[in-house]
Amino acid sequence: MYRGRLERDLSLWVGKGLLGQEAASALLAEYDSRPASFSLGRVLMALAAVLLAAAILLVVASNWEAIPRLVRVGGILALIWVVHIAAARMLARGSTAAAGGLLVIGAMSFGGAISLVGQMYHLSGDEQTVMYLWFAIATVSAILFRSGAVTIVAGFLSWASFAVYLQNNDTHWIGFDPWMAPMMAAITIALVRYTGAERARHLAYLLLIGWLAWLYTLYEEIAVALAFAIGGMAAFVLTALPLPRIASLVRSAGAAPAFYSFLVAAIGFLLLHIEIEDGWRLVVLGVATLAASVLAIALHGRDNGAVRYLAYTTFATEMLYLASVTVGSILGTSSLFLFSGLVVALVAWIVIRLERRFSANAQSANGQGERA
Amino acid sequence: MSSFIARLQSGRGYLLSAIIVAGLQTLILGTIIQSRASILSNGAEVLLKTAPVDPRDFLRGDYVVLNYDISSVPVQTVSGGIPAEPGERVLWVRLKKQADGFWTVIESSFHQLSPQPETVILRSRPFYSGGLAAGDSIRVEYGIERYYVPEGEGKPIEEARNDGNVAISVRVSPDGSPQIRSLLVDGKPVYDEPLY
Repeated sequence: MYRGRLERDLSLWVGKGLLGQEAASALLAEYDSRPASFSLGRVLMALAAVLLAAAILLVVASNWEAIPRLVRVGGILALIWVVHIAAARMLARGSTAAAGGLLVIGAMSFGGAISLVGQMYHLSGDEQTVMYLWFAIATVSAILFRSGAVTIVAGFLSWASFAVYLQNNDTHWIGFDPWMAPMMAAITIALVRYTGAERARHLAYLLLIGWLAWLYTLYEEIAVALAFAIGGMAAFVLTALPLPRIASLVRSAGAAPAFYSFLVAAIGFLLLHIEIEDGWRLVVLGVATLAASVLAIALHGRDNGAVRYLAYTTFATEMLYLASVTVGSILGTSSLFLFSGLVVALVAWIVIRLERRFSANAQSANGQGERA
Repeated sequence: MSSFIARLQSGRGYLLSAIIVAGLQTLILGTIIQSRASILSNGAEVLLKTAPVDPRDFLRGDYVVLNYDISSVPVQTVSGGIPAEPGERVLWVRLKKQADGFWTVIESSFHQLSPQPETVILRSRPFYSGGLAAGDSIRVEYGIERYYVPEGEGKPIEEARNDGNVAISVRVSPDGSPQIRSLLVDGKPVYDEPLY
């Protein structure tokens, strides 16, 4: 975790005399006082909430035939009301962790309630509408209570909704429903920005990438793969442009937008490699892939570790692949390994040079900062 | 709007948020229950014969999978043509009572059918139609394909269904949505559905 790394670094700096012991303790204390920082109690509370919610769903899933229907409906409605009002009380008292747990139970039990009602009254079909309603309720709850925990629930519900769509429609594109996945991802990102549940951002991006992969299975054409590569790179470059509006949006979103847009581009390049196997088009594709990874390192390599490693991997894989298809046919197997070794060594040399430059840049930037 | 939400996130405001969220959930659940109950009390009554089910789908947890004679709609009953383009479609089906008391499809259409005396119109759930290459019949669902039973009671009903002895009495709303009213084995009601 970040706290452990921070503590190690701080004690290192104190040992080197760069930082006073008091300042180090103050920095650590500041980190601990942040509301979103890791605390065992918080995590256990969230786990307890998930377990309780699962228990509720399981009880609902098995039939309680002995209890009259209206009593069962009344019971689950009472649960929904009690949980939400208790959460409001907790929030008013300032115990956000317990409130978050209760709200998670509240959002989950709505799904349980709908499936209970469906069972009791023999309603079938229309699971998709149920998923939309469930996601909508979680969204409303996340907004009104400004709850990060419910935002995470909404993120998972957006996946579940897409899964239900794929299952019900034999993975055909039908009507307007396929657009719901990217819309839900956008809503989740908006919720993340509003509630500060940074981790849930990945749920939205991963849903988008899954959705794009599904698009490719529908239309397995070069044009789609090309669109991924070009669109991904365009979005990636956009995250690096010094336009003030974009820059502030991107900075507040952390490493995710650049990484995921480059990931989409990398997937596009991979799909293109599956489609294009030889000839001048492969040469163009190979050069484009290498150029894209170099561009990625140049634009975001210094500050964004995730982008840097993905770009290194893309670059190295591409070099090895090109070497194996071009030189591999001329050389024997043993010389191929020799050649691969040389290629990897070359890549390593480039990477080391780049890393040095990044740290040199960082130092000179700091130096300028000090002079100014 | 934003100042309203800001006011919600403090002291008493949280209580209002709780009432809104819990109230919305109650409203949705209430609407589901009430719309079914109103179909059961006001809808037109129709008796449907069940058909055996593909063995793959036999046991599905705690519910019996119901398949009806009207679940496969013969293509020759379709009036107004079959859309050539593949896509999501809804089929309207006109049912008429036969001499044996069961209702059967006399007309179907991809456009809404107009009411006629002594017939009941049923609307299918949206389904994917492959276009003109539909074959002899169109498979549709109506949202009455599951009957939840107490644990362990599903087997006898499934056996009776596969012997062709299960009938379902259904009530249909004016807009074509059906709800199950009772399940009959050999013409005798086994389960009667209360309104609530």
